[in-house]
Amino acid sequence: MDGIHDMGGMDGFGPMIPDDANFHAEWERRVYGMARVTRVAGIGSGMFRAAIESMPPAEYLAASYYERWMYGVERRLERDGTLTPDEIEEGMARFATGPLPERSDPEMAERCVALQRNGAPMEAAAAPRYRPGQRVRVIRMRPAGHTRCPRYVRGAPGVIERVHGDAKLPDAVARGEEAPPEALYAVRFRSEDLFGPGEEPGFRVLVDLSESYLEEGPD
Amino acid sequence: MHDHDHDHGHDHGGHHERPASQPELRARALEALLVERGLVSTDAIDAVVSYYENDVGPQNGARVIAHAWVDPEYKARLLSDGSPAIAELGFAGVEGEHMVVVENTPSVHNVIVCTLCSCYPWPVLGLPPTWYKSYAYRARVVAEPRKVLGEMGLELDPDIELRVWDSSAEVRYLVLPERPEGTDDLSEEQLAALVTRDAMIGVARVEAPASARP
Repeated sequence: MDGIHDMGGMDGFGPMIPDDANFHAEWERRVYGMARVTRVAGIGSGMFRAAIESMPPAEYLAASYYERWMYGVERRLERDGTLTPDEIEEGMARFATGPLPERSDPEMAERCVALQRNGAPMEAAAAPRYRPGQRVRVIRMRPAGHTRCPRYVRGAPGVIERVHGDAKLPDAVARGEEAPPEALYAVRFRSEDLFGPGEEPGFRVLVDLSESYLEEGPD
Repeated sequence: MHDHDHDHGHDHGGHHERPASQPELRARALEALLVERGLVSTDAIDAVVSYYENDVGPQNGARVIAHAWVDPEYKARLLSDGSPAIAELGFAGVEGEHMVVVENTPSVHNVIVCTLCSCYPWPVLGLPPTWYKSYAYRARVVAEPRKVLGEMGLELDPDIELRVWDSSAEVRYLVLPERPEGTDDLSEEQLAALVTRDAMIGVARVEAPASARP
C-alpha cells in the first residue's frame, strides 16, 4: 500500500532531535512485550507491518512509535477474533485504575525468551535472474496491499550489488498467498537517479528488493 | 541509554499519580484482557522486555567489532557472511537472521536506515533508539544524508563515497567502523568499550580514548 509509512525522500519532518531512549513510558514496554508474546502464544493473525501500515495517514503521523505498535497488535488480535475493539474500549474503563490482573506461566516466559534467540536463516538463492554488477530497473507499481518496494526507487535504474538469498515476496505473504521463494537483492542506486542533482555531493543508496520488483535495466 | 525514562512506576493505584494517558489506558486494557483470558502471562511479557533491555544491546555489537579489529581472519568471515561470524561470539536471534556487515574505510562511509518502518539488528544492537525511528531520519537520510549526519555531529569529506543502506527486507545491517588511531596497545575488551551504537549504525565515528589523542 502506498501509505504514509513509505517516507524515504519526504520533506517537512524537521531536524534530527537527539533522543536515545528505547522506551519513554512503562506502557510502551508492555506493548513491546505483548507484540512479541502474542506471537509465541499463537494469537493474532496477519502481518504485523501490514497491520501498522493500514493506519489512516493522519493517525499514523500523530501517533508515537509504540502507539503504532499497539495499533498493529490490536488489528492482529481483532483479525483472528481474539479481541474486538468494543472489548478493548470496555477494558479501558474497567482497568483504568488499580492493579492489573496478573498471571504467571514460567514455561511460557522461558519459551518466549528462547524463541528470541532462534531464527531461521534465509536460503541461498536457487536461481537468481540477476547477478552482481548487472543493470536493472525498478518496476513502476501501485500495489493495493503491503509491499517493501519503497516509492522513491520505483522506475529508477540501479545495479545489483549482491544477491542475499531466497525469500518469499512479502506482498504475497501479506495477502495470505502461497509465495514461492524468490531472489532478494541489494540494489545500488546513484542519488542523482533517485532525486536528481542535489546540493550534496553524489552518494549511493542501497535498497533490498525482491526479484519481482525488478526488470532488466537500460544498457 | 535510558536517561529519558522517568516512568518506571508499576503502581498505578496511588492517589498522587497523574492521570493515565489514552495510550496507557489502552495498553492496560489489552494486557489485562489477554491475561484475564489466560492467553498471555505477565511474566512472559516481563521476560521478553527484560531480555531486550538487559541481555541484548550495543555491548554485543561492540564485541563483534572489537574482535574484527584484532583478528583479520574473523573480520574476513564477518564481512563475507555476517550471521555465522556473529554467532561465533554467541549472538543470534530474531531480527538478526540475515546479517550483512559493511566496512567503513578512509574512502567509504556506510550508514543504515529503515525508511519503511524501524528494521534494526536486535541481537547485536538491541532495540532501536527513538531518533532511528523518527520520521526525520527515515525520510531524510536517503535524500540528504550529509545534512542529517551533520545535524548528528558527523561531518564527512566531500570525496568520501557515502553509501546509505535502506534495510527494506529480511536483511539487517551492521557497520564495521574504522578502528581509531593510537589504539594499538588496547586490549580487545578496551577496544569494545570504545565502540558506540551510533558508530555501528554509521552516524558517528569511533573516537580514540583521550589518552591516545595527540
